[in-house]
Amino acid sequence: MQVIDSLKVKEKLYFEKLDNGMPILIIPKKGMRKKYMIWGTNYGSNDNVFVVPGEEKETKVPNGVAHFLEHKMFEQENGTNSLDVLTALGVEANAYTTNDHTAYLFECTNNFYEAMDELMDYVQNPYFTDENVEKEKGIIGQEIMMYDDYPDWKVYLNAMQAMYHNNPIKIDIVGTIESISKIDKEILYKCYNTFYNPSNMIMVVCGDFEPEKLLEEIKKRLKDTKANGKIKRMYPEEPESIVKEKIEQTLEVSKPMYTIGIKDKPINNRGDNSDQIIKKDIALQILLELLVGKSSKLYRKLYDEGIIYGGIGFSHEFSKTYDHILISGQADDPEKVYSMVKSEIENFKQNGINENDFNRIKKKLYGEYIEEYNDVSDIARMFLSDYMKGINSFEYLEKIENIDVEYLTLVLNDVFKKDKMVISIVKN
Amino acid sequence: MKYIEKNIKNGIKLHILNTDKFKTNLVAVFLTTSLKRETVTSNALISAVLRRGSNTMKTQEEISKKLEELYGAGFDCGINKTGDNQVLKFYMETVNDEYVPQMSENMLKTSVESLLDIVFNPLIENNGFKKEYVEQEKKNMKQRIEGRIDDKARYALDRCIEEMYKDKAFGLYRFGYVEDLNNINEMYLYNCYKRLIDTCKIDIFVSGNIDDEIEKIIAENVYIKKLKERQPIYNVVNEKTNQKQNEIVENMNVTQGKLVIGLEVNSKDEDEKYSALVYNTILGGSANSKIFQNVREKANLAYAAGSSYFRYKDNIFVTCGIEISNYKKTIDLVKKQIEDMKNNDFSDEELENAKKSIVAMIYTIDDEQDTGITYYFGQELSNNKNTIEDYINKIQGIKREDVLNIANKIEINTIYFLRD
Repeated sequence: MQVIDSLKVKEKLYFEKLDNGMPILIIPKKGMRKKYMIWGTNYGSNDNVFVVPGEEKETKVPNGVAHFLEHKMFEQENGTNSLDVLTALGVEANAYTTNDHTAYLFECTNNFYEAMDELMDYVQNPYFTDENVEKEKGIIGQEIMMYDDYPDWKVYLNAMQAMYHNNPIKIDIVGTIESISKIDKEILYKCYNTFYNPSNMIMVVCGDFEPEKLLEEIKKRLKDTKANGKIKRMYPEEPESIVKEKIEQTLEVSKPMYTIGIKDKPINNRGDNSDQIIKKDIALQILLELLVGKSSKLYRKLYDEGIIYGGIGFSHEFSKTYDHILISGQADDPEKVYSMVKSEIENFKQNGINENDFNRIKKKLYGEYIEEYNDVSDIARMFLSDYMKGINSFEYLEKIENIDVEYLTLVLNDVFKKDKMVISIVKN
Repeated sequence: MKYIEKNIKNGIKLHILNTDKFKTNLVAVFLTTSLKRETVTSNALISAVLRRGSNTMKTQEEISKKLEELYGAGFDCGINKTGDNQVLKFYMETVNDEYVPQMSENMLKTSVESLLDIVFNPLIENNGFKKEYVEQEKKNMKQRIEGRIDDKARYALDRCIEEMYKDKAFGLYRFGYVEDLNNINEMYLYNCYKRLIDTCKIDIFVSGNIDDEIEKIIAENVYIKKLKERQPIYNVVNEKTNQKQNEIVENMNVTQGKLVIGLEVNSKDEDEKYSALVYNTILGGSANSKIFQNVREKANLAYAAGSSYFRYKDNIFVTCGIEISNYKKTIDLVKKQIEDMKNNDFSDEELENAKKSIVAMIYTIDDEQDTGITYYFGQELSNNKNTIEDYINKIQGIKREDVLNIANKIEINTIYFLRD
């Protein structure tokens, strides 16, 4: 196995790409009782149009299939449900679907190998019937309705609607009651066979292991499946422009909620390499701290003048096919917050970035990156989701040192553009 | 992991969790006091005002900048309801010196001192807290209280608890009441603070790869030295509800109905609470549980369906998000699971699986820094010192009769439904 050593955080990553194309990442954590295994496929809610390797014609599937498939993977031909089997072993098992990947995982303090048997067995052996697919529609229907009652989810989704014309990120990961009604077992098998091929999957394990030995155990449990070739994925053409600047929705909330979005060009359109991806991500994290973070002038003004309630959340979200910044919170007058954020951006562009503030925030981020290595589960999840974007998580600790004010200014001018900004509001 | 506790003064205790598993050191100060209508709002507000600035770091901006310099020390505070007590929690997390590229000061020492400064050395002007901070935080707290409705599932659970403990301490909302905020000014609040600091139970936790020096740093801290010896006023025994069976339906603009069923467990002592924990895991505490299996997997009535055991209060709360028209059907199905448990209708496998899940969870206590602190604080509050091994042994020793004994004591107390 290839060993990547991070001297900064004093951890090692053991890496191996198997013959079938599947990368395996093992991060040993000596002395920890907790172990975590996560197996992900590079297939999420955004992958709705694709060409099955070996076929000519493109396949289009209803919204919400990746998530539906995630639910159905647990059902086994012998009538058992793998979630029950894993729970019975005393392990915490779960699965989730995002816009760009689906992952199956468990966390345990005992019975690791038994749990690994089950996880690797069920992910490699789907069993869908007309009956079990129908049944799931009721459960997922309730999940969709649950999200309908989350105003913070609605305000987020509306921000996507305001930014994106065609990118499927604007559609709920779970789909709609209407779209999932069209799902049948044939669709599920087709998607499974296309995307659950080892060459499209990644496995990450964290805990007290001897990596080489663990690798052998993993190999033993893998079916002999050949790499199926590149999957061509079709994403609708997405203009650089936004759809509309403002979306408002009425829901029962105590105070208006807002999400401000800034749309940027995704990795696929920029052609960035992994260094550039990380550098840009770090730069945006620093810029957001400087702009609206706890020690910023703008935050103080918004807070002291009672314009916002509580804190301001901010993040840079991206995959290969979308890229945006989000700033969110609660305020009586979200449009006032919006215009103040806009003018503070202008202010930064005109007056430049303060060197002291910059150095302080860099220290803060460095400490936060170190902190991410406290928990076995957090480490495994981080390596998986970063790898899906083509990133090695350790690199954040290395690259942050190379970021300077000059580069920050470049990113500021390139990303924070007035005509790429939107605001979504949910209020009574 | 090595756990040591030291009495600094009467009612003030230092707990040290010495462990090399983490990259960070976590320091926590918990102020524990009896939950009362007269003080619940002011206590919540005190926590919000302290956060704004101390006598040394006068503004939030100053605090934030200081923490950022300390490689992004994380500072957080919260208000908890732990049984019949209100707990003001203050946390500070710093990266261990070992991982800091350029060390200019002792990070742990500085962070401990900063945290103690924020909690015990508040900014005082004219015999009161800073007026501006108090007024702003009153407004923020009002929003926080009114903002309860934004998380519908949580709101439904809180409302069920309120109804079940009407006119009792545990029925109080942890952030207090809007109408009580109006009567609070900066002088009044400062007096409340002084009373709180003089009478509450104080627990200081330090977790991380630390040496003995920490004891000295804390014991000799100028603000700690000033604190009085005390017989802390807080509840060790929790009050039972005197509500009779009750059903409440309330309306709000929701898509999905939120059902909460509050159960009285009636354990007779601390030992029976371990059986109750196992009982709950079989009833609704895992994916294998009766409620998850029957309500979700078989009847497909819900996506979220389960139950939790509130150890301090000895209650179980069953929660399900359901189609509004399935209200009666779901209640009947939950009742059937409770009846089945009474009738000894659970397998040895279900019992063993439940124990396995709980034991696995206990093992994670040492692997998660904040979970460790929460565990030892829980032990401290219930005056029931168990090591991790004791805890595991107790769970493993639970037999079918023990669970059955609990099953036959369980009573449905309050059914709450939030619908459109």
